Amino acid sequence: MTSLLEVNGLTTHFTTRDGIVKAVDGVSFRLDSGKTLAVVGESGSGKSVTALSIMRLVQEPQGKTVAGEVLFKGTDVLKMNEREVRDLRGDRVAMIFQDPMTSLNPVFKVGRQIGESLMLHKGMSRKQSFERAVELLDMVGIPHPRERAGDYPHQFSGGMRQRAMIAMALACDPDILIADEPTTALDVTIQAQILELMMEIQERTGTAIIMITHDLGVVADMADDVMVMYAGKQVEYGSADEVFYRPRHPYTWGLLDSLPRHDIDEKGALQPITGQPPSLIDVPSGCSFHPRCRYAQPVCSAEVPPLAEVSDRHCAACLFAADPEFVRGAPLPVAAGEGGAR
Amino acid sequence: MLKYIVRRVLQMIPVFIGVTIILFILRAPGVLPGDPVRMITGERAISEQLRAQIIEKHALDQPLHRQYALYVSNLLRGDLGESYQRGRPVLDIFAEKFPNTLRLALAGILVEIVLGVTAGIISAVRQYSFSDVLVTLSTSVLVSVPVFWLGMLFQIFFGIKLKEWTGGAFYLPISQMSSADFPDWVHLILPAITLASVSTAYVARIMRSQMLEAMGQDYIRTAEAKGLTRRAVTFRHALKNALIPVVTFIGIDFGVMMSGAILTETVFSWPGVGREIFLAVGQRDWPIVMGGVIIIVFLVMIINLIVDLSYAVLDPRIRYGGGAE
Repeated sequence: MTSLLEVNGLTTHFTTRDGIVKAVDGVSFRLDSGKTLAVVGESGSGKSVTALSIMRLVQEPQGKTVAGEVLFKGTDVLKMNEREVRDLRGDRVAMIFQDPMTSLNPVFKVGRQIGESLMLHKGMSRKQSFERAVELLDMVGIPHPRERAGDYPHQFSGGMRQRAMIAMALACDPDILIADEPTTALDVTIQAQILELMMEIQERTGTAIIMITHDLGVVADMADDVMVMYAGKQVEYGSADEVFYRPRHPYTWGLLDSLPRHDIDEKGALQPITGQPPSLIDVPSGCSFHPRCRYAQPVCSAEVPPLAEVSDRHCAACLFAADPEFVRGAPLPVAAGEGGAR
Repeated sequence: MLKYIVRRVLQMIPVFIGVTIILFILRAPGVLPGDPVRMITGERAISEQLRAQIIEKHALDQPLHRQYALYVSNLLRGDLGESYQRGRPVLDIFAEKFPNTLRLALAGILVEIVLGVTAGIISAVRQYSFSDVLVTLSTSVLVSVPVFWLGMLFQIFFGIKLKEWTGGAFYLPISQMSSADFPDWVHLILPAITLASVSTAYVARIMRSQMLEAMGQDYIRTAEAKGLTRRAVTFRHALKNALIPVVTFIGIDFGVMMSGAILTETVFSWPGVGREIFLAVGQRDWPIVMGGVIIIVFLVMIINLIVDLSYAVLDPRIRYGGGAE
C-alpha cells in the first residue's frame, strides 16, 4: 500500500559564501492519512527546511534539493513541473508558519486571504470564497466571523492570527497539513488552544499533520510518530511511544532531560545539552553529535552511525543504540499526559 | 479623519506666518541690494514727485511691520499685490503661468511613474540580471547629473545635433514655438524628462529596494504555499506592500514639480511659475516673488496633506483620527 507521503533520502543544500550548508541530509520518513508526525530538534537542525523541501518552497538558487524523493500518493513531487507543484500547494498540502504576525499580508483583508486559495484551487467566485472563509473562521473558533473576515490582520491578536492561518491552510481540505512551529510565537495559554484546535480538526477532517517543533512536550499528546533531527540528519525515528519511553539516542535523552518535569525533583535545575549545535558547513566527523555527547567514545568521531532499526518501528543513528547496557543510561520516561500542551 | 484634516489645515497657519516673515526680512532695506523704486521705474531719471508717488502707492515709506500687516491683510482678502515691473496683479500673472507649470508637472510625473516604477520592478524581480545592473548604474548617474546641465545636453543633442533627424522638433525654445508645426506634447518631451530625471532615478531605486524587501517577507512565503503563481505573488502580494512608500515619494514630488521647476523651466524657457519667480528675483520684483512663494507653499502643503491621507487608503494599518481598535 502506498503511503500518503513517503520521503526517501531527502537532501537539501544551501550555497553560501562560506561553503555548502547541508541543511537536510538524507532524511526519510512516511506519513499516513489521519496520522501526526512530529519533527523535533533544536533551531537549525533542518526541520523547517525539510518541510519547505516537501513543498518545494526552498528559495532557489541559494537552496536546492539535490537528492531524494518526496512521494505524494506515489508521485514524486521533486519531479513535478511548476504547474503540478502549484496545484499541490495549498490544495493537497498546506502549511502554517511559525510567526502569525508576519505570515499574513498586512494589506489584504483576512477573509480575502483565506479565500484566495479557494478561488485558485476550487474555482470559487470572490463572493463564494468569502462565504467559505467566514465558515472556516467560525470553525477555527473566531467569534463574529462575518465581521472579522472583513478585518485586516493587524486588527487580530496573535492567537487569532494563527487561527486565521489554520483556517487558510484548511480552506481546500488538504491531505497534509504542515505546521512549522505553529505555537512558538504565542504565549502559553494560547499555545494549548491552538494545539487543541489542530487535534480537533484532525479528528474531524482526517488530515495528516507534520508538526515541527523544538519542544518535545508540545508533541507528547499529539504525535503518532516522532522524528528527531540533529544537524540536518535524522538521529531517531519511531512511534511516539517508542521514542518517548524507550529513547535510544543520547541527543533524544538530552532533549527529554531538558524538559521541565513535575514528577521528579521539582526543584532540581533542568539539564541542558551542553555546547552549541554544529555549523552545518563544517559538520563534525563521524557522528555529528559526538562533541556534545556525554557518552562519546573515540570511535564516534571516526564512524558515521547509520540509522539502524533498534526495534519494531524504531530507528536510531547511534553506534551504541542496540547495546542494552548503554541504553540503561536513558532518562526516566515522560509520564503519559505530562508535558503535552502545558 | 475630519478632525485630522482640520488639525492639518490649522497647522498651515504658523507655516504661512513663518514664510511671509522670512520673505519680509529679505526685502528689508540693506538685506539684498536694489532700490525698489529703481526697479519699478528702470534707469530713467524721475522727478521727486513721481518718486514720492511710487513710494506712497507701494507703502514703501512705512516701517516694515506696517508693510507686513498691510500685506497680510491684503493677502487674506485674496490680493497678492501688483507687480512692480508690469503693473499687473500678481494673481493674474500666476493664473496665466500656472497651467504651463501644471502641464509640465503632469508630464514629469507620468515619466516618473512609468519609467521609475517599471525599472524598479524589473530590477527587483530580476535581481543581479543585466537589466538590474543597467538600472542601478543609470540611476546612480542620473541622480548625480545636475538638472540644468542635463537639459542643456538634451538641447544640444536632440535640438542641434539631431536637428535634421527630428525635423527640428526640439530646436527652438518652447516660448518661441507658436507655429503649429508640431503637436503641443512634442515640446513637453525634453523638459518633462529633464524635470523628472532625478526623481525617476529615486523612484526606481525606492521601488527596487521596497520590492526586494517585500519579496523577502513571511507573507510572500505564505502566498507561495497557497499555490499562487510567481506572477500573482509578485504583483498582488508584494507590489501592493512595496508601492506604499513609492506613492508617497511620487506624491510629494508632484508637489515639488507643481511649485515650478525653476531650473528646468529656465533652461527650456518654459513660461511657467518657476521661471517667473526666477526672473522676478533678478528684477527684485518683490510682489511676484512673495506671491509666488506663498502660492507654492500653499500648494505643497495641500498636496502633502493629500499624500498623507492617501496612506490610509493604501495601508490599512494607518487610520487617522483613531479608527480601528
